[in-house]
Order: sequence, then C-alpha cells, then structure tokens
Amino acid sequence: MNSEPTTLLQGTLDLLILKSLFAGEMHGLGISRRIQQITGGTFVVKPGSLFPALHRMEEEGWISSFWGDSENNRRAKYYRLTKPGRKQLEAETKRWGRISWAIAQALETS
Amino acid sequence: MPLFVKVRSFLGNLFSLRRVDVDLDQEVHAHLELLIAENIRAGMPPAEARRAARIELGGIEQVKEQVREGRLGNWLHSVLSDCRYGFRQLRKNPGATAVMVFTLALTIGATTAIFSVVYGVLLRRLPYTDANQITAIFEVSSEGRWSHLADPNFDDFRDQNRSFETIAKYNSNIVSVSGASQPTRTMVAAVSPDFLKVFRVQPILGRDFTAADAKKGAGPTVLVSYGYWRQQLGSPLDFSQLHLKIDGAVYSVIGVLPDGFRFPADVDLWLPADLGGETPSRTAHNYYAVGRLRDGVTVDLANQDISAIARRIHETSSEQNDYLLKDGVVVPLHDSITGKARPALLVLLGAVGFLLLVACANVANLLLAQASVRVRELAIRSALGAARGRLIRQFLTEAFLLSLVGGGLGVIGAFWGVAALVELAPQNLPRLDSVSINIPVLVFAFLLSTAVAAGLGAFTAARATSGDLGKGLEEGGRGQAGSQRSQRVGRAIVAAQIAITLVLVVGAGLLGRSLMKVLEVNPGFRVDKIVAMDVSLPWVEDPKAKASQAIFFANLIERLKQIPGVGKVGATSGLPMDGGLPNGMFLLMTQNEIPKTTDGFGLLQQKERLGSADFGVVTDGYFQALGIPLIRGRIFDQRDGPNSPHVAVISESLARDRWPNQDPIGHTIEFGNMDGDVRLLTIVGIVGDIHDYGLDAPPRPTVYVNLFQRPRSAITLTMLSDADTRLVTSSARGILQDLDAEIPAKFRTFSQVYSASLGSRRFNVILVGFFGITALLLATAGVFGVMAYSVSRRTREIGVRVALGAGSGDVLRMILSQGLRTIFIGVVIGIAGSLALTRTVESLLFGVTATDPLTFGGVTLLLVGAALVACFIPARRATKVDPMVALRYE
Repeated sequence: MNSEPTTLLQGTLDLLILKSLFAGEMHGLGISRRIQQITGGTFVVKPGSLFPALHRMEEEGWISSFWGDSENNRRAKYYRLTKPGRKQLEAETKRWGRISWAIAQALETS
Repeated sequence: MPLFVKVRSFLGNLFSLRRVDVDLDQEVHAHLELLIAENIRAGMPPAEARRAARIELGGIEQVKEQVREGRLGNWLHSVLSDCRYGFRQLRKNPGATAVMVFTLALTIGATTAIFSVVYGVLLRRLPYTDANQITAIFEVSSEGRWSHLADPNFDDFRDQNRSFETIAKYNSNIVSVSGASQPTRTMVAAVSPDFLKVFRVQPILGRDFTAADAKKGAGPTVLVSYGYWRQQLGSPLDFSQLHLKIDGAVYSVIGVLPDGFRFPADVDLWLPADLGGETPSRTAHNYYAVGRLRDGVTVDLANQDISAIARRIHETSSEQNDYLLKDGVVVPLHDSITGKARPALLVLLGAVGFLLLVACANVANLLLAQASVRVRELAIRSALGAARGRLIRQFLTEAFLLSLVGGGLGVIGAFWGVAALVELAPQNLPRLDSVSINIPVLVFAFLLSTAVAAGLGAFTAARATSGDLGKGLEEGGRGQAGSQRSQRVGRAIVAAQIAITLVLVVGAGLLGRSLMKVLEVNPGFRVDKIVAMDVSLPWVEDPKAKASQAIFFANLIERLKQIPGVGKVGATSGLPMDGGLPNGMFLLMTQNEIPKTTDGFGLLQQKERLGSADFGVVTDGYFQALGIPLIRGRIFDQRDGPNSPHVAVISESLARDRWPNQDPIGHTIEFGNMDGDVRLLTIVGIVGDIHDYGLDAPPRPTVYVNLFQRPRSAITLTMLSDADTRLVTSSARGILQDLDAEIPAKFRTFSQVYSASLGSRRFNVILVGFFGITALLLATAGVFGVMAYSVSRRTREIGVRVALGAGSGDVLRMILSQGLRTIFIGVVIGIAGSLALTRTVESLLFGVTATDPLTFGGVTLLLVGAALVACFIPARRATKVDPMVALRYE
C-alpha cells in the first residue's frame, strides 16, 4: 500500500526485515541474527536501528507483534508479517531489483 | 488496514503512552536477556556475557529514546509536553501570569468588541441577494453636493440608462397610521413599483406592487413588514379585508415582506409613490434612488452612464437655476449607507489597536523579565542537548498559552462589550442591528490572539536564546550580563509604550476638547424643561380643510396650556437638532407685485432678487417656549389671522446676509416653492440665530412663517413645563385623545433630542478616552515594572556604591535620570507620531486644530508626571538599600 520512496538505507533495512520475517515469526534478536546470516555477515543490525525500524513498520501495519516464549523459554516479543507487509515486501523486492540492475548497468558502462 | 492500524497506533501513542512505554521497556530488557543467554551459550562466563550484551545493545535508554522519536504523533506529544512545562512555568509566577492574562483579555476583548462594530457596520455585506450589485443614485447639485432626485430626472435615469437591471425611487416619513391594534406613528416609505425587485425581495405572503398599483388614481395599496404584521396586525393569513388608514387615506394590505427586510431603515409600511401624480419640476428633489446593476456592469460604468444622462438634462432643461442638477453619481449602496460613519469607526479601531500594542509591550516586558531569570534553566537544557529550536518553541508555547487564555477570556468579555457599545452608540450609526459577535468576529479574535502570541513568543525567544546560552551557567547564577542587555530592551519597549500612549491620549484629548468646545456653543435656545409632542393630522390639500387643521392645532395649544405646570406652548414644523428644516429659494418682491404661480420661476433668473433660507412653520409660542430672543420688530400675534396679510419673522444671520446695511423689516418676500402658497410675506421681526443642525454646525439663515396663516398637518408641539414630564405627557395624551381619538402622538423631552445630537461625539470621546486612560495606566505600570526590576537587579551595585560613599540623593538621581532618559525618548517619539497621526481625526474635531498646543502640552505633562511617579517608587526603594545586606545577598 505504502509506496512512498524511502531512503536507500532505511529502505534496505525494511526490506531485510520483511524478508527475514517472510520465513516465519521471529523476535528482535532472531531478526538481527537472520539478517546477519542471509547477508553473509555484510549487515549487522544494531538494536538502536532495529527497534525504531520494527516499531515504525508496526505503525505502518506491515508487521504485527505479540509476546511469546523463546526457544529456551524466555519471554520475548515476536513479530510476524501482515498481509500489507507481504505486499510491501513484493513491491520493495521489485524496486530493489530495478535499482540494483540500474546501478549494475551504470557501473558496467563506465 | 494500514490506515486503521496507523490511527490505532497514533491514538495509543497519544493516550496510553504509559502502556506503550512499559511494553517497549520490557521488549528491550527481554532482548538484553536473550543476548546474555546467547553469549552464555557461546561459552562466556556470566559476568562477561552480561557486559558484552550491554555493549552490543548500546544503552537501554538511548534505544528507547530512538524508538520514541520515530513514533507516530511524536510532534504532538512533544507539543503537549511543552504545554505542560509551560503551564508549570506560568503557575510558578501566579501574580505575573494573572496580570498578563488580564491585560491581554482586556485589550483583546476591547479590540474584538470594536472590530465587531466595524465589521457589522462597515465590512459585513448588506443582507440582500447579490448586494454588491445594488447602488444608490444621486443628483449632484451646482455646488457639488449630492442630493435627492426630482421626478422627471429619475424618469430619465430610469428610461435612458443602459447599466441597470432595475432602478427604483423611494422616500420615507413618519406618519399617523390607524386601523391596526392602535393608532401609531409609523415609518412609511413611498416607493416606485420596482422597488422590491432591486433588492430581489418578494412578499412571503400576498403579492408585490404591480405597475397598475402605481398608476395615478389607483386604489391605494400597502405592503407591511414582517414585524408589523406580527405585532400590529396579529399575523392574519387572510388580509383581503384588512385596511390601514395611513395619513388620512385608506389602503388595502396586499402583502407581507420577509422577516428582516427593513429598507429604508426602520420602515414598516411601503406604499406606491405618486398616487396623486408626479411633480413635474426638475428642481423639486423628493426621492432617493436605488438601482441594481446589470450583470457585468461596474459601478464606474454605471456612474459614467448616469452622469452622461444628468449632464444632458442639465444642458437641455428649461429650468436653468441653481437647483437644477449639474451631474449624477452612482455609488455602492453600502458606501452610501455607511460612508459617514466610516472615519470615526476607523479612528476607534486604530485607537484600540494602539491600546493593544501598549498592552503587548507590558506583557513582553514581563515575559522578558521572567526569561532573564530563566537563563540558568535554559543553559542546563541546552547543555543536556536541547536544540535552540526546541527552546524557542518552548517560549512560543508559553506565549500561545497566555494569549489564547487571554483571548478566550477577552472574547467572553467582548459579548458584554458589544452589548454596551450598541447601547452607547449614537442613534445615527447605521446598521447597528447587524453588530454582533459572530463567526467572522470570532475568527478575527482568534487570529488576533495568534498574532499577539506569535509576536510575543518570537520576541522573547529571540531575546532569551540569543548569544551563548552556556554563559548562563558560568555567571554565578545571577545572569548579570544577560540581564543588562534585556534591561536595555525593556527600556526600549517602555519608551515605545510611552510614545504610543502619548498618541492615544493626545487623540482622546483632542476629541475631548472638541466636545467641550461644542458644549460651550450657545445653541440659541433653551434645552431643558421642554416636552416635545409630535402630532400629524392627515395630509390635506383643500384650503378649507387646511384652515380647519390650523384651528384644531390652535385648540390643542390652548388646551395644553391648561395643564398644571405648563407655561408657554408653541408649535413648529421641525425641532432644532432633529434633522433640520427644509431649505429653498425665496424671492424679494415689491409690496404690490403679484406673483403668478409657484412654477413661474422666471424671476429665479434674477440673481439679485433671490435669497436662500431654511423654511420653518411655527407659532408665536414656539419662540417663547424655546426662549429664542426677539432682536427687533415683533413676533406673530393676534393681528396675524388667516385673512390678514401674511407675515414672516427672519433669523439674525439671514437679516445680516441678505439685507446688509438695511433694515429688512417691512420688506416682502415670496417663498411659495416651500408650501405652495405664493401670497407675499412681510417681514415683521428678527429673532436670534439657532444651531438648528447641531451645535457643531453653523446656524442657518431661516424664514419663519405663522402656522395659523400657513397651516400644515404635521407639527411638533413644544411645551415649557416645570412639572413632572410623565404627568405632562399623560395629560397631553388625554387632551389629544379627547380632541381626536385616532391621532397618535409621540413624546420626547427636548433634552433627549439635544443629547442625541451629541451622541456620536460623546461615543467617540468615551471610547477613545477609555482606551487612552487604560493605555496610560498600562504604560505607567510598564515604567514601574521596568524600573523596579532594574533596581532589584542592581541591588548589589547600589550596595557597593553606598558602601563607597554615595549618598541617598546620588542613588535617587542615578535611578531617576535613567528613568527620565527613557521617558524623554518616548515622549519625543510620541509627539512626532501624534503630529503625524492626529490629521486622521481632523474631520472629527471642532474648535481645536489637530496640533492644538494646549492638548499636546497637557497630555505630555500628564504622561511625564505619571511616568515619574512610577519611577520614583523604585528609586526611593533604591535609596533604602543597606550595603551590608546587599553585599551579603550573594
């Protein structure tokens, strides 16, 4: 729904969070580790950027949260993708594809 | 639904902030726990695991703050917290806050009240459909004055113009009406049949006039106002049998006009004009005219159109004399109604605006004093990372709180203010019924408060946050340097305040002196102890019927004289100061000349035989009751019966102007164009001048004729009486009832008429005076505040001076000279400003010039005196400073 262009960096973080949650519900630390894993360690998300992003995305309605128990029985706040969140993920993925293709083109021609 | 989610989060952030925050806190802590557990799993010892986790998290509070700042509605939240903080600040100084709120409430309220009058009278559209198309049309006389229209001229305007969709003429009069619940004196308009079409008004019941209703000899018909229909007629739905006797003739009621339509002002009945036929003369100016412009035609175009027609008439008419129109003019109806009231209302608006500025200056000074005490607080907040913008916003928020609370209270006060203004307003102020506190006025009040807030807030913020905020912490907590600067600003504000106050009080002084000068004028007659009684009999033309009306009045006068306490009784065609007498041209005749008809104006070509004068029909008792002195000759008496030679008495100024170096007594004149009677009048006496058009207008040359020789049907009786007015009134009413039960009478005391004639002047003086006095008090308080503050800030310095040997005289001189400098600068600017601005009130002045030295001198002394007293109290306090206490104060 929300197709406002976001800044590249913020957009990247959002996209990575959405992508991580696509696999299933996860708590904050899980998301952070997942991003680290799927980007081969290129992106390490600090809590200072992660939490504001999570809360903002929840206010946008892309993800929703609930309290649950972690793998080793600790209470943690879990996040999951909502329907608008899936759409946003699709849109962002396409957009990202376009951008990275364009950048790649630009770098090759020069 | 993202929108729904957004709204829910926004409301959650706003209203259940605590819950949202607790949740956040738990989440961050849970995260920390997870991190620790992870580290332990990785093999770290517990203490090491905790430390590493904390490092990775990077500060619980910072993370939470970062989340908070990204939240929806964060700005609103911070505004609310600014407000809460602002409220606490204002509560900390309840005295100063109360003073500021009261000052703002008083002046915003006063400004709102005055604006509501300006809006209602000058700005609000007239309550008619497409009212901007409605214009008033006037003839322009040879002297350039705008005058009413003569019938044939109106007909030419109507038939030859290409600018108007409809054009109509009208005039209005108070006449006796019977046939309703009781006989009344009612305002009746005579109108041409298209009159209502100009206003696009239709009767809510019955029908409009048709061309047939206006034909000569048509059956008399009348339209009634909604109010008259309800109150006098009892709201009948069927009025086919309803007749009103108006001015002696019987009219059938054919329709009721919508509620609120009263044009011309105060009219209750509308009749077709000219049922007896039009007046053929082009110099008998009997009607006003209104027209509705065609779509797309501007007032300018219409003006050229009418002007061209008028000049054509001027060139081709056979009636070439001074009374023939020279030109024609078209103005928006709104302007023609409100034009006269405009200058005074704008002066009032300006005056109250000045008052508001003076008040804002006081509030600004108080805020500034508070801000300089808060230097330390600002320094701490700035050190803790508050941006300058945030601090500025804090000041703005506080100013808004003050102004909006003050403005809100002011608007509540303005409701009473408007009621009082309407009560106090002169009777001749047009459109007073459209003055109220309405939406546009409220919007004005809100914008005004906002502007005041923005001004005050921006000013204090700019002053308080300029320079290096960090210095506030260094200066040992006393903020001396900062306060030095803010004191200079404070004194500049006070100087400005004195300047504005001076302008305002000079304005009030000039208006006040004018009123005094007006009151010094000898009106030429007595104003006290006179009871006036308006009576009109049906209008008749037949000389015999006229004669019998004269006998009726003679009887009435004789009977009124019998009322205990009543002395002299007279009658006049028009009371002085009540609209004035009609004016016309008379002819000087020789004794044996016999004029032919009133229309034989051939003689009017002979300038040397012409004279111009007001025309009054009176009785001998009128001069006696009003105490108008006889200068020479005699007034009317028993000799002057209907069949004896007709005589006239003239006023002193006419004698002087028309018969210089001659004795007018014994000369004969003909003044037939006023009452249709061409019999010659022999001048038998000269009486004193009277200020007929108000004390501030010069007396007008007047010819008086005798009611018993020149009868008329509508007169005002004047009774000189020592008895209680109510007793006289009820006796007089009984006598009139006894003579003819169908004739209504209206009673006034002459002092009421006299007082009403001074109404506008009094209104202006009271209001501008009130604003001036309030400004003076505010300015005095401002001077006092700034000086007291300065003394309290300089306590230590004064203590040092005294310790080093300064006497109390030195201290007093030092403080006073500092105050005097400020006052002097203010006064100089104020005098310069007054000289520039009082020109705008020139049209409202009488007997004083706009640069009246007495007023300027007096006001300056008053202001300097008040300001000096305000300086003296803090200066005295400064002399009492005990050096030991002052120095230990640290």
